[in-house]
Amino acid sequence: MEQHAPQSSRQSLKNISRKEICFMSETVVETHQLTKRYGNFTALDSLSIRVARGQILGFIGPNGAGKTTTIKILVGLSRPTSGSATIAGVDCSKHGARIKQVVGYMPDRFGSYDNMRVHEYLDFFGAIFRIPTRKRRDRIEEVLNITNTASMKDKYVESLSHGMQQRVGIARTLLHDPEVLILDEPANGLDPKARIEMRELLLKLAASGKTLIVTSHILPELSRICNVVAIVTAGKLRAFGSQEEVMARLCPQRSYEVQLAPDEILAGARDKLASLLLNNEGISISEAERTLRFPTSRSESELADVLSQMVQAGMKVTQFREVTSDLEDAFLTVAASTD
Amino acid sequence: MTDPFILHNPVLWRELAGRLRSSKTVLAAIAIAVVSSLLVILRWPTDATIDLASQGALEIFRPVAFAVAVAVMLLIPAFPATAIVGERQKGTLSLLLNSPTSTTQIFVGKLVGNFLLGCILFSVSLPAIFACYAMGGVSVNGHVLPLLLVLAGMTFQYSALGLWISTRSQSSEASLRSTYAVILCLALLSIGPSVLVGKQSGSTAIASQAMTTLSPIPALQGITGSQGTAQAMGVQSGWVWFVIVSVAIAILFSLMTIRMLDPLLLDRAKPAGKVLDSNAYAWWRRLLFLVDPKRRKSSIPFWLNPVMVKEFRTRRFGRLHWLMRLVSVCAIISLVLAVVATTGTVKWGVDRIAASMVILQIGLLMLLGPSLGANALASEVESGGWQLLRAAPISTWRILSGKLLSIALTLLLLLGATLPGYVTMAFIDPKVSGQVGNVLISLTVAAAMITLISACVSAYSRSTAVSTATSYTLLLALFAGTMLIWVFRGSPFGPVLVENALLLNPAAIAMSEIEAPGFNTYSLTPRGWYVGLVICLIAGLLLAIRTWRMTRPD
Repeated sequence: MEQHAPQSSRQSLKNISRKEICFMSETVVETHQLTKRYGNFTALDSLSIRVARGQILGFIGPNGAGKTTTIKILVGLSRPTSGSATIAGVDCSKHGARIKQVVGYMPDRFGSYDNMRVHEYLDFFGAIFRIPTRKRRDRIEEVLNITNTASMKDKYVESLSHGMQQRVGIARTLLHDPEVLILDEPANGLDPKARIEMRELLLKLAASGKTLIVTSHILPELSRICNVVAIVTAGKLRAFGSQEEVMARLCPQRSYEVQLAPDEILAGARDKLASLLLNNEGISISEAERTLRFPTSRSESELADVLSQMVQAGMKVTQFREVTSDLEDAFLTVAASTD
Repeated sequence: MTDPFILHNPVLWRELAGRLRSSKTVLAAIAIAVVSSLLVILRWPTDATIDLASQGALEIFRPVAFAVAVAVMLLIPAFPATAIVGERQKGTLSLLLNSPTSTTQIFVGKLVGNFLLGCILFSVSLPAIFACYAMGGVSVNGHVLPLLLVLAGMTFQYSALGLWISTRSQSSEASLRSTYAVILCLALLSIGPSVLVGKQSGSTAIASQAMTTLSPIPALQGITGSQGTAQAMGVQSGWVWFVIVSVAIAILFSLMTIRMLDPLLLDRAKPAGKVLDSNAYAWWRRLLFLVDPKRRKSSIPFWLNPVMVKEFRTRRFGRLHWLMRLVSVCAIISLVLAVVATTGTVKWGVDRIAASMVILQIGLLMLLGPSLGANALASEVESGGWQLLRAAPISTWRILSGKLLSIALTLLLLLGATLPGYVTMAFIDPKVSGQVGNVLISLTVAAAMITLISACVSAYSRSTAVSTATSYTLLLALFAGTMLIWVFRGSPFGPVLVENALLLNPAAIAMSEIEAPGFNTYSLTPRGWYVGLVICLIAGLLLAIRTWRMTRPD
């Protein structure tokens, strides 16, 4: 049936994909040589990034790397020492008032008020953003539905669970329908279920055309949702691009893992493996998992030879597998190189 | 030989060492030492005449004693009031309650720690007190020892009370507010009935006299030899009774606190919130609450400042439904007082009734105002809401005006609540209408001063607890400090100094306008209003500058 789909429908699918391509290529967030100094301390050093519409940028870095400084400049809460930052064509440092209309910002602290119900909380921020009363009422219903918090609207904000508070925080950022959402640690402190729900919500928002900048320390979580990744350490951009690009640049070698039988002596096995690989650099031992791990650039057939030689040498191999590198490995590589 | 129980109490040493390391404690000690020394230096005789009647030493001893007592009243309650609630907020109370240390040990550690701290603080005034003794007119047994016992009694009582309130409170700021309110009631309101009843006899007089034992003021008047003033006001009470009552109150509240200190104290569910829109008792609730807190609120209209509405709906103290109840009670009290005064059913006199109305209003302004003002910006910074406001398209002026309007309207509402009483007075006796107008202007100036000074303190503080304590201390020093100078009018303070000091105090201006006893000799209007307006302008300017800086990009 699918093969016989009408010409017009196929055409429209083509159109959508072409539209999406245009959509994705339109730059919404751009920083150019962005630098921030506090006296002699350089918090941010020549940061240049571009994020297209509908993309999710994962902003990664250790504490004090300059993530929050960048975010503060982007939302107009801080002025750069040099360089520029624009969101939807609006200069972040020159047009502070306009930038607040195009950005929805959720800081790492929720910012709740005592004795305030969820709908009162959203109504207050709606009034702050000067959304007309009637439109505000409809918009509150809308964002409560998007974030799946409609059932919470009469509850006091401070009585909500952390996960629910984060959802209400996102609902607040959506109130004025901004083009860009900047979320500082949205998954921090969430339980696994709430984390999955948060991930789905962020993907839904990106699919609706919002551009997202998300910081997080939970890298496996980020790797599941981000199209683009920026790794920052000590104020400098160490890697930037799609996940594949970043991985290819930072983790060019594959990693293999050999699991051995419980009666195998790991140190002896490592020496044997080193002699087969003709080096022992990078072979690490995990006593608890009874594994040896090594980085390699060898082809599949060369690795098959290594395995057969290990078996012939009397090593009791229970598993021999490739360990997929992830964002965490990329980040650790960057962190190790900058230490 | 067994070690004394108290000395091996880790809570005590941590409490004491922690407090002594704090810069606030050092500042408090320096303030007490400087004020008490200055009072002695200013009045130290420079001529070579011999004071045979020994009145010179007493004239110096009197203000020193009162100044130290006021310092104890203002500075010491801040420490116990935050001792337990602060631990709970930081999460260390659960660690203490789940340790082998018993609740009695925890409490005794806290109580003794705070009591010793208080003793250390007031003992810095000992050189000034002994300077009076060295002059020859002050004895150890008759003056110094009783004074130290009264100060120790105050410290003990306020520490136990502060800890009890701290155990019951949900936040440091609420605890500070309640502690100061209770201490003010104990010190000032407890002598109110006695002042009103005067030198009458009967059971009412006996009851009102018994109440004066709660206040340190009659005890201090007895020790410093100013019984004349006390007796003129109808107040008679010895210092021994004050010490006994203080210890009894401290023991009572200590036992209550020990009973409350339990791991279950931490097991309190947060109120989830419930809306009662279609409840059968909805109209009853509206009548009872005036503004029903469980009713679903409507959207903020475009013509209202959203920050102001938010403040009325959410602030920790002074939410609209409580305010309306308070205003209703004030209106009823003022009407009753006005009718009583003007119809002459009781021979209290219009001046006394009007004075008590002014005292009631100033008391309410002082109770509500500093707390509301101190919350204005500090609570926003503390809760993280300030970051959200900064990231929203709202101007500094709109934030500031919303905050100030919410405080000013509340205080004006309170002043308005007593209007029926004044109107009744002016209707029955039209001659007082001019005075009533001037009193209301003075009270409005007082409300403006309280609002702007406390909001200014709030803008420069990082936590509501610090902001609340500082605001109360500053404003009490301004309002009660100038009254203290008035109490010692004639000696040691001259009439010019007293009049100039009273110009700073709008409450005193109001009292002089209604010709309250002791204030009718001063002419403070309109100079006092101008002084008040200048203070308001300075505080307002500092507040505006600070708020503007806080909203600017870093």
